[in-house]
Order: sequence, then C-alpha cells, then structure tokens
Amino acid sequence: MAQPSQATDGMDSVPALLQRNATRFGDEPAYREKEYGIWQCWTWAEAEKEIEALALGLINLGVNEGDFIAIIGRNRPHFYWSMVAAQSVGAIPVPLYQDAAADEMAYVMDHCGARFAIVQDQEQVDKLIEVQEGLHQLEHMIYVDPRGLRKYDHHKLHRYIDIQEQGRAAYYEWIEDLKARREKLTYDSVCVMLYTSGTTGKPKGVVLSNRNIIEASKSSSEFDKLTRDEEVLAYLPMAWVGDFIFSIGQAYWCGFCVNCPESPETMQTDLREIGPTYYFAPPRVFETQLTNVMIRMEDAGKLKKWLFDYFMAHARRVGPAILDGKPVGGMDRLKYALGNLFIYGPLKDTLGLGRVRVGYTAGEAIGPEIFDFYRSLGINLKQLYGQTEASVFITLQPDGEVRSDTVGVPAPGVEIRISDTGEVFYRGPGTFEYYYKNEESTKKTKDSEGWVATGDAGFFEDGSGHLRIIDRAKDVGKMADGQMFAPKYVENKLKFYPNILEAVVFGHQREQCTAFINIDLTAVGNWAERNNIGYASYQELAGNPRVLDMIQSHVEEVNRSLSDDPMLSHCQVHRFLVLHKELDADDGEMTRTRKVRRGVISEKFEDLLGALYDGSREIYTTTEVTYEDGRKGSISATLQIRDAAVVPVETAKVAAE
Amino acid sequence: MNDMTPDGYTTEDGRKIGGVVMEMRNITLRFGGVVAIQDISFDIREGEIRAIIGPNGAGKSSMLNVISGFYHPQEGEVWYKGAKRPTMKPYEVARQGIARTFQNIALFEGMTVLDNVMTGRIRQMNAGLLSQAIWKGKAEREEVENREVVEKMIDFLEIQHIRKTPVGRLPYGLKKRVELARALAAEPSILLLDEPMAGMNVEEKEDMSRFILDVNDEFGTTIALIEHDMGVVMDLSDRVVVMDYGKKIGDGSPDEVRQNQAVIDAYLGVAHD
Amino acid sequence: MPEQFIWGMEVFLNGLMAGVLYALVALGFVLIFKASGIFNFAQGVLALFAALTLVGIMEGQVPFSHLINAVFGTEVHHFGWTVPALGAILLTMVVMVALAWAVNQFIFRHLVGQEPIILFMATIGLAYFLEGFGDMMWGSDIKKLDVGLPQGINSVIDEVTYNIFGYGFFIDNLDLWATFVAALLVIALVLFAQFSKHGRAMRAVADDHQAALSVGISLKFIWVMVWSLAGFVALVAGIMWGTKSGVQFSLSLIALKALPVLMLGGFTSIPGAIVGGLIIGVGEKLFEFLIGAPYLGGATEIWFAYVLALIFLVFRPQGLFGEKIIERV
Repeated sequence: MAQPSQATDGMDSVPALLQRNATRFGDEPAYREKEYGIWQCWTWAEAEKEIEALALGLINLGVNEGDFIAIIGRNRPHFYWSMVAAQSVGAIPVPLYQDAAADEMAYVMDHCGARFAIVQDQEQVDKLIEVQEGLHQLEHMIYVDPRGLRKYDHHKLHRYIDIQEQGRAAYYEWIEDLKARREKLTYDSVCVMLYTSGTTGKPKGVVLSNRNIIEASKSSSEFDKLTRDEEVLAYLPMAWVGDFIFSIGQAYWCGFCVNCPESPETMQTDLREIGPTYYFAPPRVFETQLTNVMIRMEDAGKLKKWLFDYFMAHARRVGPAILDGKPVGGMDRLKYALGNLFIYGPLKDTLGLGRVRVGYTAGEAIGPEIFDFYRSLGINLKQLYGQTEASVFITLQPDGEVRSDTVGVPAPGVEIRISDTGEVFYRGPGTFEYYYKNEESTKKTKDSEGWVATGDAGFFEDGSGHLRIIDRAKDVGKMADGQMFAPKYVENKLKFYPNILEAVVFGHQREQCTAFINIDLTAVGNWAERNNIGYASYQELAGNPRVLDMIQSHVEEVNRSLSDDPMLSHCQVHRFLVLHKELDADDGEMTRTRKVRRGVISEKFEDLLGALYDGSREIYTTTEVTYEDGRKGSISATLQIRDAAVVPVETAKVAAE
Repeated sequence: MNDMTPDGYTTEDGRKIGGVVMEMRNITLRFGGVVAIQDISFDIREGEIRAIIGPNGAGKSSMLNVISGFYHPQEGEVWYKGAKRPTMKPYEVARQGIARTFQNIALFEGMTVLDNVMTGRIRQMNAGLLSQAIWKGKAEREEVENREVVEKMIDFLEIQHIRKTPVGRLPYGLKKRVELARALAAEPSILLLDEPMAGMNVEEKEDMSRFILDVNDEFGTTIALIEHDMGVVMDLSDRVVVMDYGKKIGDGSPDEVRQNQAVIDAYLGVAHD
Repeated sequence: MPEQFIWGMEVFLNGLMAGVLYALVALGFVLIFKASGIFNFAQGVLALFAALTLVGIMEGQVPFSHLINAVFGTEVHHFGWTVPALGAILLTMVVMVALAWAVNQFIFRHLVGQEPIILFMATIGLAYFLEGFGDMMWGSDIKKLDVGLPQGINSVIDEVTYNIFGYGFFIDNLDLWATFVAALLVIALVLFAQFSKHGRAMRAVADDHQAALSVGISLKFIWVMVWSLAGFVALVAGIMWGTKSGVQFSLSLIALKALPVLMLGGFTSIPGAIVGGLIIGVGEKLFEFLIGAPYLGGATEIWFAYVLALIFLVFRPQGLFGEKIIERV
C-alpha cells in the first residue's frame, strides 16, 4: 500500500482551511443565498464568525468530541456552516436526504446514534418527533426556519440563531475549548460520514477522513485548474458526496464562493442569475433542460425555429471540434461565431450555462445526443466516474479528450485495476476509511491492500486508455443460452429518447429480452397536446394506442442499433409494455437517487412480467401506491403488451462464436 | 363557550384570543323578495380563526360580502374596532384593513405574481401622483419598503419560483396561494377567506390548512373563513357560526357545534361531502 | 449614390415623423382601451377640443361668447389678455382633467358592466357632443396655434446631408420636436404603468374590477385618471397637429388614421401603437413616392393605411404586438 499522503502547509482539516481563507481573503464572498428576492452575501470572514458562533453554541449545548450530528436540510449556508461547526468541535457531521421518509431517517439516525440534529423546518422536526421513541440517543434538535414551530415544546428544541446567540454570549467561556478541539483535528480525523442509499439493502455509513476529502479536492481542483474565482450553485442534495466535495471540499480548498438557490423550484432562474463557471449536474438535469428547449422551439415562430435548426446543425458538425481545439476551417469558424451571436450565446444564457468553464455529469450514462448538444454549444461538459467510497473521483475526462461513451482516465493519484470477472477496482488517497459499524461490508468492499470493488463492470479501451463502464457487475447476467445480458446498457439506450423516462429490461435466464417502460409525462404530454390527444392522467396517456405506437418505434430503433453491436445484439427487446404508474421512490421501486430497484419491481409486478413472457396481448392489474403523505391507495388498469420488431441476430451469433 | 370574557379567551391549544374586533348585529339582507340573511348576529375576536359554515345556499357568501362591503344589508349594523361602520364601498372597506379572497379566485391574470401581490400594498402606499410620475423621493422609498413586505409574503407562501410569471399561466392551486399572498400583503386586521379549499384535492386541502394555521400563528392575523366542508373547518377554527337557510342555527367552539341538535339536523338534511 | 435613393431616404425620414404623430393619437386609444375596455371613438375629438381650449386660453377668448352674446345681446369676445404658452397648457390640462371627471361622472359610471358595443356607442355620442360643445365654447373658425415650438426646415440636417449627399434633406423642426416629445411621453407612460402604484392599480382595474375593489382600489379614481391621461395625450397630439395644420374640425379626423395604426400595432400595446404609427407613416409616404405618384396617379396616402390594415386583419388579427388569441378547445 502506498505511503499515506501528508497535509500541505498544515491544512489538515476543513476548519483549518476555513481559518486560512478567513485570514487570507476574508473580504471575498464565501456564500451567497437568495432570500426575499435578493442575493445575500457572506464573506469568508463573516462565514468564519457565523461558524464560530454556532460551534461555541454547540459546545455550550453539550456536544462532545466524537458525537454525531445529523444535518437535514436543503442547500443553505446555514447547513454548510453546521457541517464545519460540527467538525470544529470535533463532532462528525452526517448530512441526510431531506426527502427521506421518517422511518428511513430513523434507521440512519439510530445507526450512527446521533445526539444532535440540525434541521431545516417544521417538516423535518415533525418527522424526527414521529420516530423519536426509537431514538434513545437523540437529545437536541436545532431548526433554522421557525415557522409553525412556535407552539412546540422547546425543552429539547432550539432555534439555530438562538444557539448562535448563546454561543456568542458564552464566547469567553468556551473559546479556549473550541480552539483546543480544532487543534486536535488531524489528517486522519473523520471529516464527514455519508450514507449511501445503495440499490439493495440498508444504507451504509461511509466514513471519510480529512485526508480523503482534502486530497481528493486538491488533486481534482488542480486537474481542472479551479481557482478562487469560480462560481458554483449548490443545488444537489447535501447528503450526496458530490455536493460535499464541490461545496465544501473544493470550495474551501480553492476559496471560491458557494451560491445557494432561493428554493428548489427557482433553481433555473438562480442558475441564470449566478452564471456558474463550474457546474455539476446528473444526466437527468441536462436531459430535462434539453427537453424544455426543444418544447419551446416547437412553439417558437418559423424564423426562429429555422435559425435554431440551421445553426444547431452547424454546431453539431463543428462545435465539439472547436471546443477540443482541433483544426476547423475559417469559414466554419465564422459561421460558428455567427451562430454564437444569434443562437448559442442566448441559449446558453437562458440555460444559465453561459459562463461554464468546467461542467461535469456523472452517476448514470448520458445520451450521446444530449451530451453532444451541450458540447456543440461550446459548453465544456465532461464525464467523471465516481463513488462515495472514493470521495467522488475515480476517473475524469481531461479537456480535449471528451466522449460520451467513456468516463475518462484515472483521477490523479488513483490506481485502477480490472478483475478477471470484469469488475472495476480502485485505490487512492480519497479511498474511504471504513463503513461505520459494518466491518463485514467494509471487508467485502475494501481489501487489505486498499483496493475497493466498485460493483461495476467495465474495461479500458484500447488506444485511448479511457475507462468504459458497461453495467453494474451484479446486474450483468446471462440469458438462457448463456450469452451476456446487460440490462442497464439497453435501458440507457431506451432512456435517451426524451419520451421515455424510465425503462426496466428483463432477460436474465430467459430466452429473450422484454421491457417495462415509463413515459416522460412532460415530453409525451406536450406531444399529446400538439396532436390533440386529450388525457386526464399519467395512466390514461400511458395507455393511449398512439403513445404505444410511438414508444414501439423507439424500441425498434434501439433494437436496430443493438443489432450493430456484436456483444449485445441478442439483447434486443422482443416485447414491452408501458407501465400504468410512474416508478417512485416512495413505493420503493427506485432509490432516492432514482436508480431502479430491479428486484422490487420484478416482484411487485410479477403478473405483468409473466404476461410479457406468456404471449398474452393484454393484462389487467392492480397496484398499491403510496401518496406523498404516506397514505396508501391502489390503481388498476388493463395494459396492452406490444411486440417489437427485432433484427435477426443469427449472423451476429455466428460471428461471436 | 363558558370561559368567554369581554377581553377574550384562551383556545384549546393555548393561544390567547383578544377582544371583539368586528361585530355583526342583527344583519338582514334581502334580494328583492328573497331573504338571504335573516337577523344574524355574531362577533369576530382578535387573533382567532372564525368559521362560518353551512350547506350550499345557506347565505355564507352573502355574509362574507356584507363584511367586505360588496353587499349592503337592509337592516342591522356592522361594528368594526368599536365603532359602527357607515355604508361603505368595497374599496373603502379594504382600506380599513379587511382583506379577502374569492371562491372563484379574483386575480389580475395579465399581471405577474409579484405585481399582483404588490397591489395588496395599495393601502400602505400613499405617495402622490406627481412623486410617482418622476419616481423619486417618497414614491421610490415606498416602492422599496413595500417590496420587502411583499417578498416576505412570497417567501411565506413558497411562490418564489413564479415571482415573474403572469398569473394567467398558473394552475389553480398556485393561484389560490397567490391570492392569499396578495391578501396577506395588505397586513390586514381581518382576513376573509371565501371557501379557501374549494376545488382542491385532499393533499392541496392539507397544504392550504397548514398555510391558514401558519398565517394565524406567524402574524397573529384574525381570520374569518367560510367553507361548506365541515371536516376541514372543525380542525381549523376556534369558533364556528353555522348558517342554514339564511338563519344562524349554531355558534360556538367546534365541539359545541358538533353536538348542537339543530346543526346535526341541518347537516343530515343535506348531502355531506 | 443615385438621386432616387437619396430622395427615398428623405421620404423615409419624413414618413417617420408623420408616423410619430399617428402614434400619438393611437396612444390615447390604447390607454383607455387597456384600462377600461372602452374603444374611445372620441379620442380624435378630444385632441381637437384640447387644441381649441389651448388656443382659446392663450388668446384670452371668452368661452361661450356666441351664446352669451346671443342671449344677453352683448358683444364680448376677448378678455383682453393673453396667457403665455406654458401657463395655458397647464390650464388646459386642468380643463381636460375636469372633462375626464365629468365624462366618468355623467356617462361611464352609469354604464359599468355594459356590453362593449354600448360603451362604444356612448363614446360616439361623446364625440358628437364634444365637437358641438367645443364649437359652442370657442367658435368654429380655423385657428392658428403657436406655443413657441420651432418650425421650418432644420438647417443642421439640411447642411449635414448636403455635405454628405450633395442634397439637403428637408426635415421640419416641428416634426423633430414631435418625435422627441412622443418618445418621452411613451417612455414615461410605460414606466408609470409598470413601476408605480397607480400604474399598477390601472392595470389591475383593467384586469378585474372585483379584485381591484377588494384590494382597496377606487375604480372611479382610476377611470378619471385614465381619461385624464388620455386627455393629456390628446392635448399633446392636439398641439403637434394644431401647430402643423391649424386648429380646425379636420383635426378630429386624424382619429380615423389612428384606426389602421391600432390594427397594425394591436389595441392593447403601447409599443404597438408606436411601431404601428411608424410603419403607417413610412409606408404611406414611401408607397406614394415609389409606386403611387409614378404609377397610380398619386393620392395613395389617403387609402394606403387602410389597405395595409385590412391585409393585417386577415393574417394577424391581434396586431403585431397584441396578445395572441388562442382558443383552447
């Protein structure tokens, strides 16, 4: 195992970085948040004071070193301060997904034994109160937004600003203690604990040390030449490792400003106003944005639409090459510049991506059309491959070597090896310490030499040396005839169509592949409106024969493209149906990060799955659904099952054998 | 209600309710020969949530329109803040600090959400025409100050994302919220809500109830609302007036009203919903 | 550069100037239509009335002198004083506000909630009444209006264009002023409507009476305000047209020219009124210059605007800037 790296200039913890930033560029903006329609700003010096007051307040409240503090809220400066304040007093911040149901929260809270929780509002307080019975260790709750909480019993409930106020009042009493606790932090102390939702089983608490976070932040910042002048918009869940790296790790390492949106719904407007230079979004966000652009262009005037089509075609042709700095003719460049003036520039500004210098997407495969669309506009969108256990970065795409079907080269300091079974392993300075209270999983995932199993199957491409990920290693199955079955690969191909929101492909141990499909209500709804198709609900639209025709044509196109790939031509979808409900995390069909839970789905819709393979033309079914408030109901429908044309694979088979 | 004193009372959940802010005395309202309201008296106290319920056609809406000055009763008196109110036009009533919403939503559809909510501040803005014409001095200051209040309401009702959207493009549930924001922006002494849950599904009703309770809790606003959905009202209000065929058949706390025989009869006589 | 092109440019510029004046009248229509849904046929007469009043006040005319003289057998015509232009304009504005109040008090207050066609008829009645009333008040002779606006060829433009093209453009100073004033007026009106309390209240009233009442807006006040604004715009238009071609009955006919402007620009759009006015102004002048005079025997200016409006009605009934009319089925 490689020698553990040492901290540069004594910067061995996030609080230490905060001190450095407050001293070195105290007057520069550290946080912005839009509230009451105005961007409020805190400089590094101000942020340091806020965090110090909170840290003193926490000591005053009785927080001990080694305590866990749950943090539940949307991206607001208060919660980022809470994390750093927790670290400053030697406690461990545990950010949780704020949209998790009460019992999911209860599991995590109980597992880490959090004594304190800093939460957003009444909704979160209510959830914790609901499960408090089972949480013997939870002592105090601190809330930010007092609305509706006035009448609550305040013995164990505190308002955020009151805690800060108490901290300020008790300054002389605790400041020495606080300083001492900060001094004790080392590169090996725990920086944060993040729970991975995981597609199966209970969440695991990933323990990341200061070394993990700071080394990962440092090397990735250098990789993309991030500076103090970056602007980022923090809008992705705080419980997700990416947000922790971008909004705390890299932000503190580089000293750039973190902007928090006014509310989740205003994110698009806020994005436009801030104009981030460094931006991360999962493929889904890029997809939605592109869908919206396309819908708006459908409604636009003829001239505008013509201009858009004309210049976009040009951009697709030469845009990526210009971005990569490859030689492009003068005339094409001129035309591109013209397009930039009329179309690309205004469009990028509308999307809020006009200033993006480095953009990343990860988490799932992104559709090549979507990826190329953004790149052709001149947005430097790249892919990375990462995990919570790696402090995000496993591979990154260097500028100029960007493609939609690879995830790039190993991140600085990270080693990668492919096992005999095709699974990807890595190790590096960002590699996590252990799973909290779960030695078994730790051992299973991370071997004695520090190699971590990703659970993904992939290979290094000849020539470019870039990593290509095919599927989850455990999802890669075998069909009845023993050929490789890679469901996610097919699903992604299907999902690249804007009309298809989700797809679940079956085929393990079967003769042929079949699929469940979820339509995208926005895209298909818009199409329906333009074609005068009336519908009252998702279910009605999903059952419309013309919608089915459309989906069928998409499936058949996918089949044609699959037939070109000798490795996967047998994975063509023979039969499919469009589900009568949207797959939903509340019903357990997906994870909170919106990954489909194959097992749950095939069990829950067993009857439908059966129908896909017994040749029936339609099937009647009833399904239980959970509403947002936790109540249950049921919906029933008669679903049609369609046969999709497949390209004969005999030739391919022969070639493979 | 036994613990009722002239100075107010304490609710079940421990809120202090103040003295009478508005009192209807023997109100009778006729349209031609039809009697819409017959000799009804009740009061509204500071800080309480007061409901007027009854089956459809019981005269609830008429009563609300009397309070807000859209109808003028033939007999009876309206007392407001300790003084008898002369016959007033609706806009004069509004300027006295009585804000309202409408069952069918009356928003300015062509204007943005922000502009709609800003109109709620008209009562508090009194810069002269000339000052406005040159947008200097008082007018400018006023605009900024009032914008702050308006932004708080926008934040409170969680409609920041549609701030600049023309109201006409919004779905029903959001319009209801914008209308409430506009009424609240007036910082009214009494907030009148005309069937705030009409046309809503269960989830939206719950959201709206939450907003109403939060308004009362956060700003101490006195709220009078009419509603025909008994269930919602009983959970929400401190005191309830029950009307049927233009007459008052019950008045008291939700529990008292629930046990009132006349109320039970009236409600059994009509279809529940 | 060919002469034809240079002349064309001059015609174009002159068209722009004429367009500004059309736009001014159209603006008065838009204001009232937006705020109250009334298509005010009397807008042209309002301009005439304003101009008559202005001249009358400036010259110290005794109002209703014919009537007084007829009844009492006197021979009074003038007070014997004159009023400086600025003061007279202010006084005229007071008269226009009083008129706005009266129009609302005696006519439209009683017609609240009536069909648009009834309201339109009422404005026709108002137009005829005002025409007669103006005559009676100030006499029906053609008057000259001079508030001190510079008139005649602008020598600077003449000289500059001569140096460039070898041909001096004839641009009237009055037209330049009209353009300047109109631009100012439009900017002020848009800002007022968008960013002031009363502007917002005006839009609110236009949108929903009941809602406006419920937030404490007095409908009466807003209507008087809107009619006063329309009166003010009419006064400005009256001054410009009156200075240009004398204050006379035909002034009220410019309202008819505003009609095609509105069809082009849309009845509800202030920028629409401006652009519409400019297009008509330039269009009719250029058409006359390029096609009308050489091929059609001239005098196409009389009908060009209406034909253009007709074409627009067929292809874009809501006008250039009007709100798109979408019927959802």
